[in-house]
Amino acid sequence: MGTIHLFRKPQRSFFGKLLREFRLVAADRRSWKILLFGVINLVCTGFLLMWCSSTNSIALTAYTYLTIFDLFSLMTCLISYWVTMRKPSPVYSFGFERLEVLAVFASTVLAQLGALFILKESAERFLEQPEIHTGRLLVGTFVALSFNLFTMLSIRNKPFAYVSEAASTSWLQEHVADLSRSLCGIIPGLSSIFLPRMNPFVLIDLAGAFALCITYMLIEINNYFAVDTASAIAIALMTFGTMYPMSVYSGKVLLQTTPPHVIGQLDKLIREVSTLDGVLEVRNEHFWTLGFGSLAGSVHVRIRRDANEQMVLAHVTNRLYTLVSTLTVQIFKDDWIRPALLSGPVAANVLNFSDHHIIPMPLLKGTDDLNPVTSTPAKPSSPPPEFSFDTPGKNVNPVILLNTQTRPYGFGLNHGHTPYSSMLNQGLGVPGIGATQGLRTGFTNIPSRYGTNNRIGQPRP
Amino acid sequence: MEEKYGGDVRAGPGGGGGGLGPVDVPSARLTKYIVLLCFTKFLKAVGLFESYDLLKAVHIVQFIFILKLGTAFFMVLFQKPFSSGKTITKHQWIKIFKHAVAGCIISLLWFFGLTLCGPLRTLLLFEHSDIVVISLLSVLFTSSGGGPAKTRGAAFFIIAVICLLLFDNDDLMAKMAEHPEGHHDSALTHMLYTAIAFLGVADHKGGVLLLVLALCCKVGFHTASRKLSIDVGGAKRLQALSHLVSVLLLCPWVIVLSVTTESKVESWFSLIMPFATVIFLVMILDFYVDSICSVKMEVSKCARYGSFPIFISALLFGNFWTHPITDQLRAMNKAAHQESTEHVLSGGVVVSAIFFILSANILSSPSKRGQKGTLIGYSPEGTPLYNFMGDAFQHSSQSIPRFIKESLKQILEESDSRQIFYFLCLNLLFTFVELFYGVLTNSLGLISDGFHMLFDCSALVMGLFAALMSRWKATRIFSYGYGRIEILSGFINGLFLIVIAFFVFMESVARLIDPPELDTHMLTPVSVGGLIVNLIGICAFSHAHSHAHGASQGSCHSSDHSHSHHMHGHSDHGHGHSHGPAGGGMNANMRGVFLHVLADTLGSIGVIVSTILIEQFGWFIADPLCSLFIAILISLSVVPLIKDACQVLLLRLPPEYEKELHIALEKIQKIEGLISYRDPHFWRHSASIVAGTIHIQVTSDVLEQRIVQQVTGILKDAGVNNLTIQVEKEAYFQHMSGLSTGFHDVLAMTKQMESMKYCKDGTYIM
Repeated sequence: MGTIHLFRKPQRSFFGKLLREFRLVAADRRSWKILLFGVINLVCTGFLLMWCSSTNSIALTAYTYLTIFDLFSLMTCLISYWVTMRKPSPVYSFGFERLEVLAVFASTVLAQLGALFILKESAERFLEQPEIHTGRLLVGTFVALSFNLFTMLSIRNKPFAYVSEAASTSWLQEHVADLSRSLCGIIPGLSSIFLPRMNPFVLIDLAGAFALCITYMLIEINNYFAVDTASAIAIALMTFGTMYPMSVYSGKVLLQTTPPHVIGQLDKLIREVSTLDGVLEVRNEHFWTLGFGSLAGSVHVRIRRDANEQMVLAHVTNRLYTLVSTLTVQIFKDDWIRPALLSGPVAANVLNFSDHHIIPMPLLKGTDDLNPVTSTPAKPSSPPPEFSFDTPGKNVNPVILLNTQTRPYGFGLNHGHTPYSSMLNQGLGVPGIGATQGLRTGFTNIPSRYGTNNRIGQPRP
Repeated sequence: MEEKYGGDVRAGPGGGGGGLGPVDVPSARLTKYIVLLCFTKFLKAVGLFESYDLLKAVHIVQFIFILKLGTAFFMVLFQKPFSSGKTITKHQWIKIFKHAVAGCIISLLWFFGLTLCGPLRTLLLFEHSDIVVISLLSVLFTSSGGGPAKTRGAAFFIIAVICLLLFDNDDLMAKMAEHPEGHHDSALTHMLYTAIAFLGVADHKGGVLLLVLALCCKVGFHTASRKLSIDVGGAKRLQALSHLVSVLLLCPWVIVLSVTTESKVESWFSLIMPFATVIFLVMILDFYVDSICSVKMEVSKCARYGSFPIFISALLFGNFWTHPITDQLRAMNKAAHQESTEHVLSGGVVVSAIFFILSANILSSPSKRGQKGTLIGYSPEGTPLYNFMGDAFQHSSQSIPRFIKESLKQILEESDSRQIFYFLCLNLLFTFVELFYGVLTNSLGLISDGFHMLFDCSALVMGLFAALMSRWKATRIFSYGYGRIEILSGFINGLFLIVIAFFVFMESVARLIDPPELDTHMLTPVSVGGLIVNLIGICAFSHAHSHAHGASQGSCHSSDHSHSHHMHGHSDHGHGHSHGPAGGGMNANMRGVFLHVLADTLGSIGVIVSTILIEQFGWFIADPLCSLFIAILISLSVVPLIKDACQVLLLRLPPEYEKELHIALEKIQKIEGLISYRDPHFWRHSASIVAGTIHIQVTSDVLEQRIVQQVTGILKDAGVNNLTIQVEKEAYFQHMSGLSTGFHDVLAMTKQMESMKYCKDGTYIM
């Protein structure tokens, strides 16, 4: 998939590509271990399925599905290794991080579908209970349990570990936590194991094995074959309970939703952004998680017509970058056409224009609260509540940068730590159209001391 | 403090003087009441065991009549309901009459259950206090059950009942099941017996169900009679009057009964003593001690201390009950009750007794509502404030018919959900007809096929929900709207089909190895019925399908849906998609549902074909081969759906727009004043939304808004309808380098790949 060039259909066959990607992953030593476990898992699952048909026990089948789920989780782990190696392709422009999420979602949903199937089967079995042979039941249980626990504890499965931490607690975990809270009241030392919550996979493995042991016991003692069906239902319900929160979590990531836990922070940032000077409103905010953890987003910011777009853009980006790593900010102004048409010819030599525009402007701010070097706070720890973009520094000499036509990428390289003040004015030259600005200053978030009225009737060449 | 913050705000446990929690009375003062309660419960168990023995000899209506008579006599004597207290109005008399009728019915159920399941099981099932049952019901039927502990308690209760139902191999039950019809003494018992026989369960299981029903009735009865007892002037007075009225009620019945049937009792005189004990222990003593204890102790504590001794003593008596009166009675009446026909202890009963004790313990413990409160802030004194009434106010309760009406209206509003809904109804109808017929004819094949249909219906239900939800308005969390749910639902449906195909495959492989003998005569009508239902579905859905697509492309889908579900034929359309968000027509949800119906149809066809082959030629191998073929067909048909859904979920560039977007980006490059662009992200969010973000670098002498307008125009033409364009000039990068500490960050930022990590390094601190 990775080699797809822009807008060209891949020529290679599907399996060839798969093989190539597989080789890529297999080059990593860590994935050998996973592959080894995968092979063991396949063998184990095969045996278990055989024993399932020989014992005719549906509870063991339900437990075997957990082993199959382990196989999926191993695959997810491999995929997450692969994802870290891939760069974004033009077609998958966000990269392949989401593949991890999709894999988690698919495997949890598959586990739930398997549980649904078990429920259906056991509903049929309630009508006609077949005989269960206990011969391999206990053996199968312990093989599956030990294998599951071994896999779970020896392989560091990053995506599933993340999801099981981030997703809400399953009902099984809640009950265990509730029980162990009272247990830890008696023996405080246990709290490190059981509290605040146990690993859901370990929990369901143990609980399923427990149910199977009870089944074995009761069938051995009294031939209560219905226990098998009952414990199959119990295992299926536990599977539902364990998998459901995880699939909800990963499904919400796939649905491009804003994760609820960052909404508070985002709100704070957006409030900050909307108090920036020149910003009128923030709208169309879309923030969503790209993979597990990294936020992406886009936002539209409406600004005053005389505000400096690039400056606002820089500040908004700077604010939101702390939280949102893939950010796109669209700045827009109402009614921009009209003044722009007036000053249409001027736009060609904007630098001259800025020369004239800025120098006669009076120094509005008191020197005490104005940092001469930059309009941003000198120390990030003490941000002033508002910013004034249009206020120039003391040394208002506009510097004409020579390399205006170069790509902005390499720009910073030539200058190193040039004083920011010289660069600041560069941005001020851009359309400072403020002829009708006085009409629009009814907004409370514009501090009056900036005295925007002074700009009215500014000489315009 | 509370007044300041309104009635529903309470200070947390840290503050407020600590007077808010339940006050613990020193246990020493309560000990005598607890001992009294335990002793009474023990005696009540004795009384019930004795009344079981009595019921063998005495008819149930006569028994209840005597019981009520004795109780009424005693209570009227002690309470003096007529001479003391205010006079009772006519209205209240009517209420007391109703109370008495309900009381009679409940005690009838109770003692009938006693005759069916024996005293031990009756005690286990029926002797739960109201608080236990109420919290059980609130866990089962309301969302705010009160934490995981209560849920556990409810689960234990249910397990205990199930244990009694399924794992209780009572020897007597088998014998009682073969009782000859007409053995019953009266029309009433006969009616109850027939009702239980109609349910298709053995007698003791019917008794268990009857007792559970009676328990629920009893709790409802107690709750309902609480107000009446206050009106009348105390529960004791009400009881006395009610017993009296019920004696009068039962009187004619008993007279008719004793006239028409000859009594099995030889001398009533010898029964006076046992009746007196039963009346005293079961009715009077229990009632008085309960009322005393509930005054002196908390109700929950009362319930907890009360339930334990009664269950334990029931277990003990169940094992050792050889009271002399049993033999005496047995000698007296000649009814042939052997020793072996007693309701004995069994493993299931012991297990269920343990579960009952546990659940009574958990359910009667006071719920910790404090944990449910949400922290809303701090009081000026610094104590935390919790909001306890959140649930009650946030979830405005809607009446169920209204809710159904609303959701039906929503479902029928749009064609997609309407189609799914109608088909779901049809499918469910067919399923239930099948199930009903299966139960009627006792055919397992039909029933299991019905379950299979139900299993399939779950996919339809999901599709219906997705179709409903996709129309919800955008919220803060779902900022683009809920349209993407359809895609996710399509993906899940695809996985569902894969799972089905896998199971069919496994089954057919197993049958291929070991072909079983099939009984084909029942299969054909069922599968023909299923085929007809599914064909209707296919017709409806394919119509909707091609209709939805016809809006935008019109070429894609003709007859062969099973394989060519690919969304090809899009890219050669030029600018065909410029007409806004409604045109997009790809609906993964409907595709998933459609494929599901298709798979079912294939299944029915496979069954029919294999049936014909088996009946005509006797090829038993045809059945597994057919299912193998079907499994492969299903998985092949579902692959395109999954692939498409995956691509959308992975935010791929929409394949049907690739060419146009390529052209659009080339056009953008040619815009005057534009240097370059970076990070072009375009993806399909849902069927109707194609979103895109792009960063554009321009020379510093052009107007950003003009660029934005041009680029927007070009990309809108290419089909992107949710667009964010970031226009950057050199100045932007200078600002950014000024805002951050060094130009390294600028470098990093422009190279989007590493940007995130640099951010995390702490250079942008805020």
